[in-house]
Amino acid sequence: MAMASGSTSSTSTPRKRSKWDEEDPDDIAIRQQQQPSKRSVRTRSRGARQPSPVRSELHPATTGRPSHPLHSIYVPPRTHHPSIQPSRSVYCYERLNQIEEGSYGVVFRARDKETGDIVALKKLKLDEEKHGFPITALREINALMSCHHDNVVRIREVVVGDTLTQVFVVMDFIEHDLKTLLTLMPSPFLQSEIKTLMLQLLSAVAHCHSNWILHRDLKTSNLLMNNRGTIKVADFGLARRYGDPVGVGGLTQLVVTLWYRAPEILMGATTYSTAIDLWSVGCIFAELLLKEPLFQAKNEIELLSMIFKLLGPPTSSSWPNYSTLPLAKTITLPSPQPHQFRQRFHHMTIAGLDLLMSLLTYDPEQRISAEEAAHHPYFSESPLPKHPDLFSSFPSAAAGERRRKPFDSPSAPVRAADYKLLTEVDLP
Amino acid sequence: MPADLVPLASTSQIERTPSREDGIPPDLEEDLRAFGCKLIHEAGILLKQKQVAVATAQILFQRFWYTTSMKQFGIGVSPSLLFFYPTRTPQFITQDIGMGALYLASKLEECPLRMRNLINIYDLLLQRTSHALSPKTKDPFKYAPMSYFGNTFYDLKDALVVAEMQILKRLGFNVHVVLPYGTLINYLRVLGLTSRKDACARAWGFLNDALQTPVYALYAVPTIVSAAILLASRQLGISLPSAPSQCWWDLFDAPWEDVWSVCGYVMRLYRERAPEERMRVLRLVGKKDVRGWLEENAVGS
Repeated sequence: MAMASGSTSSTSTPRKRSKWDEEDPDDIAIRQQQQPSKRSVRTRSRGARQPSPVRSELHPATTGRPSHPLHSIYVPPRTHHPSIQPSRSVYCYERLNQIEEGSYGVVFRARDKETGDIVALKKLKLDEEKHGFPITALREINALMSCHHDNVVRIREVVVGDTLTQVFVVMDFIEHDLKTLLTLMPSPFLQSEIKTLMLQLLSAVAHCHSNWILHRDLKTSNLLMNNRGTIKVADFGLARRYGDPVGVGGLTQLVVTLWYRAPEILMGATTYSTAIDLWSVGCIFAELLLKEPLFQAKNEIELLSMIFKLLGPPTSSSWPNYSTLPLAKTITLPSPQPHQFRQRFHHMTIAGLDLLMSLLTYDPEQRISAEEAAHHPYFSESPLPKHPDLFSSFPSAAAGERRRKPFDSPSAPVRAADYKLLTEVDLP
Repeated sequence: MPADLVPLASTSQIERTPSREDGIPPDLEEDLRAFGCKLIHEAGILLKQKQVAVATAQILFQRFWYTTSMKQFGIGVSPSLLFFYPTRTPQFITQDIGMGALYLASKLEECPLRMRNLINIYDLLLQRTSHALSPKTKDPFKYAPMSYFGNTFYDLKDALVVAEMQILKRLGFNVHVVLPYGTLINYLRVLGLTSRKDACARAWGFLNDALQTPVYALYAVPTIVSAAILLASRQLGISLPSAPSQCWWDLFDAPWEDVWSVCGYVMRLYRERAPEERMRVLRLVGKKDVRGWLEENAVGS
C-alpha cells in the first residue's frame, strides 16, 4: 500500500507540475523576488559610502581575503536584505470582486496591473481608531512579514489609498477556506488527505511558535486551501509575540473562537502559551474527521461540559494545576467518567486516536507540541499522507465560481465518478 | 533565516538621502538624526519604557530618513519654540517622527504607551531645549505643563497619529527590527570575553550609542555587534586573533570594511563640537526650522 501510493504519486507528479508550471502565482512571485534589481550593485559600490571617517586606515587583514567568503546561514549576505521601500498605491491593483466582510475589514479579489497576478486585498478598518494604528493590525502585519512558510499565507506588501485611513494588506489569493470546503464537499477527506493537511498545519504552527508567534485563532475558516492540496494558515488578527517567560504582564482571555478555545483559557488563565494553538489544532483534526466542528457550544459553560464529557472531567493526574486556575472554584465538576474518544471516533486507528488525545489534553504542560505531533507515528502508518498534487480541485466560492449543478442533483453519479477518479488515484 | 532579514538602505538611498536631495548638508542631517534619537532615548527613560521599545524606535527613526526628507517632516515637535520665534504662524503643526516612532515601537514590543504621557514628556523635553536656546538660559528651567483639555494637546495628538501612519507608510509597513543584544552575548561567549565585565559593559554601551547613528539601517546585526566588540577590545587593550586568515570577525561573517565603517560612525559621535554647532541642532527640530535654515543658507540662489 505504502509502496503503491508512493510510486503513483511520484509518477503522476511531473504531469501535474507541468500543468501548473505556466500559471503558478507562487512561482512567478518567487522568481520576481529573486530578480536582483539593484541590490547586487549595492555591495559593489559600498566603498563609495559616505562618512566612514578613517577609511584610509584599512586593516592588513583585508588583503588576500577571498572576495566572497562563505556565509553562515544565520548571517545572510547584505544583498539578501530587502531595501527600505515606501508603500505603493492601491491603484497598482485592479479590483475584481468582494470576497468577504468581517469585523476587521473587507477582503477583495484584485489583479496586479503590472504582473497580472490575482491577489487578495484586505482593507483595514481604521475609521474610529483612538489609539493610532490598531495594535492588532500591527501584530498581524508584523507576524505575517516575519513568518515566511509554505503553509502560512504570504503577505506580498501593504499598499495605501489616497488618505491615511486607507490601508490594504495584499496577500496571495487562495481559492478556498477549509470550512466552506468541508460543508460543500460531497464526501469527507480521506485519511491520507487528512494526514497531509494535518502535517502542513502542524508544520506551519511549529514554524510560528519557533518564531515566537502565537496564532490564537486557529480554526477551519482561517485555514485557506488552494487547488493544489496546500493549506495556508491565515488571519493573524489575534496573533501576538510571546516571550520567555510567557505572558509577562498578562494576556487577554478574549482569544480564540469559542469552539476551538483551550480549557485553560476557559478557566481564566492569564499565562497561556503555545499549547492553546495545539488544542485548536486538535479541534481542527477532529473536525476534518467528523466533517463538522467537534464542540459546537453556544457558550463557555456548555463548551466546558462538552469537553468534560468527551475527555472525562479533569483529575489531579490529567491536570495537576487545575485547582489553581482562577475560575476553578466556580465550576462544579461532574462525577468522574472515562473519556469517550473511541465512541466518538469509531474508525480511527490506535495511533490516530492517540494523536487526537495528545492534542486534546487538559494539562497544557502535557499537551503535545507541534514539533512532536508532526513526528507522531500516525503519519508514518498506512495510509501514508497523500501528495498534495493528487488532491482534487473544487470550484472556488471566493473567486465567484459556482458549481454548475449541486452535488446532490440527479446527475450526481457522473460527477461523483469524476471525483472518485481524481481522489482514488493513490489507492492500490 | 529569513527572520533575520531586516530592511536596509540601498546604495542610492545611502549616497543621496532624501534630505540631501533637498539641500540639507550631510553633517547637519547626521546631527539631526542623532538629536532625534537622543530625544527618543530621554523620553524612553522618563517614561520608564523598556529598552527594547526605545531601541526599536530609534532604528525605525533612522530608517525613516532614507525614504523621507527632513524638509518634509521635523524630527521633534517644537510648538514651545514658538515663544522664541514669534514670527512663525501659530497653525504650525509639525509631524513628529521621533514621538511617532516611540509610540509605534512600544506597540510593536507589546508595551504600549498612553498618548498623553508620551505627549507630555515630549513637551517637557522640547521646553527644555527651548530653555537651553533662550537668552535666559542661566535661570533655572521651569516646566510649564500644557492644559489638560487645551488645543495644544489635541493638536499634538493628531500629529502623533499622523506621524505613526507616515512612518508605517514610508517604511512600507515593514517594521521588522532585529535587536543586537542577544547576538552580542553569544559573540562574547564565543570569544571567551564574558569574564571581562568591563569589556561586556563597554561593548553593550557602544551598541546603545550606535542607535544614535544610522548603522542599524545600513548594516546587518552581526557587523554592528562585531564593531562594538572591536571598539571595546581595542580601548581596553584586549588582544583577539586578528592576523589574516584567522580574524575573529570572519567567524561572525562580518566584513572588515563594514565593521570599520560602523566603528567610524560610532566614534564620530564623541568628537569635540563647537558650541554653535551644538546649538544649530537644537534650533532645527521642526520642519519649519529646517526650511527656514535652508532659505537662510541657500547657496547659489
